[in-house]
Amino acid sequence: MALSLSGESIAFFVLSMMAIGGGIMMINSTRVVHMVLALAFSLLSIAGIYVLLHAEFLAVVQVLIYTGAISILMLFGIMLTKHKVDEEDGWSGRLGHSLLSFLGVGALFAIVMGVIYRTPFAGKVAATKSFTVEALGKSVFKQYVIPFELTSILLLVALVGAVILAKKEADS
Amino acid sequence: MQAMTFIGPVILLGIVLGFVTIAILFERKVIGWMQGRHGPNRVGPWGVLQSVADVLKLLLKEDIIPHQADRSLFKWAPVIAFIPAFAVLAVIPYTSSLFFADIGVGLLYYIAVSSITTIGVLAGGWASNNKYALLGAMRSAAQMISYEIPLVMAVIGVVMSVGSLNLIRIVEAQKDLWFILPQFIGFVVFFISSLAELNRTPFDLPEAESELVAGYHVEYTGFRFAFFMLTEYVYVFAMAGLTTVLFLGGWNPLFGMDFIPPIIWFALKFSLIVFALFWIRATLPRIRIDQLMQLGWKVLLPLALANIFLSAILKEIPWINQFY
Repeated sequence: MALSLSGESIAFFVLSMMAIGGGIMMINSTRVVHMVLALAFSLLSIAGIYVLLHAEFLAVVQVLIYTGAISILMLFGIMLTKHKVDEEDGWSGRLGHSLLSFLGVGALFAIVMGVIYRTPFAGKVAATKSFTVEALGKSVFKQYVIPFELTSILLLVALVGAVILAKKEADS
Repeated sequence: MQAMTFIGPVILLGIVLGFVTIAILFERKVIGWMQGRHGPNRVGPWGVLQSVADVLKLLLKEDIIPHQADRSLFKWAPVIAFIPAFAVLAVIPYTSSLFFADIGVGLLYYIAVSSITTIGVLAGGWASNNKYALLGAMRSAAQMISYEIPLVMAVIGVVMSVGSLNLIRIVEAQKDLWFILPQFIGFVVFFISSLAELNRTPFDLPEAESELVAGYHVEYTGFRFAFFMLTEYVYVFAMAGLTTVLFLGGWNPLFGMDFIPPIIWFALKFSLIVFALFWIRATLPRIRIDQLMQLGWKVLLPLALANIFLSAILKEIPWINQFY
């Protein structure tokens, strides 16, 4: 399997490195706010990968909802909590343990990659260039209109439920 | 790849920086004039070099990072806030041939990317480790989230009549009639929400100096502070451009006066919006936080929803539907 070095593959490489890097940063941070920001960065990189797949609408919605709204919601919650960090994050494990876990993770990675490369992918490549907003709108509001409406009712019920729960707590 | 792909954004950055310099001076002059003062008049003739001097001072100032601050986040926050402000300019079409990106979801792109700035503001307020900064950041985030909803709802009427989210197609659809007339409710809701999104008076609660010192950037000095201010004025540029494109017909001429080049038409409408922003700042007092939330959720949002229904109904009535 030859990997051609086109602009698209370079962009994919950079974006996936950013997404994975954000994930690693999130795990390694000691402060919760840093974690949320790393998560937001990771989610933003995934939006970039959607753009590469010509799914512009999905990419923009990803930025709007995940990078924007959900990260801000999490930050909001966290900021009202304690600011001080417990700086006890010292190196405590033995060298043998880390070596052993590195070997284990490496072996798992090798097995997974080996299986992925050996699996033949069935089916043809989809024509992603036809995934315009217009086509998306037509399929959601014509073909899948009943599931769409049901979902909206479900969300409305959840919203009303949240309001009622919050009201009960405020009264007591 | 063409050379313009690389040079174009640099030229745009130069134009935007020039706009910011002039806009700050213009704002101070206009407000001074409306309040019966002179405004800046010491640096250069008519005070033209005042902003240049201010920027120079900011760049030469000592860069102070508070001892208790979160150092890395404190440095990153202005960058996180500024990058989206400049990135949104990519989708705004200036004339039918002068634009940077022609993407199908241009309008949504603007709204999505501009919401990232809130993260920078929150991060800056939190990293400063100052209660006023944190309170200012919280208010700012609450305000931006609350007013983003009516802002988006207000443009749905426009999107419905064009049938596209592409900003160039939206301008082309306004060849005969600008959307400010059929979508007047939408325009009013959009304009008020955009004032709140820009954190400008009467919605400048995040930096209410009488109660919060200076809001989220109270601990910032020098060029980092300059970056936050720059973000704010770049958003003024972007929002004025977006309002022009959505409701004032972009580069389309008025009364068929097409002997004036389209870019001048765009600049005229754009300047009108910028002037209106300064005019409102000089006229109205700041509102309270509870009034702010009530206005957003109880007035603007229902109005925007009503506008969507009205547009949908009028779109089905014969004869009237030619305007929608």
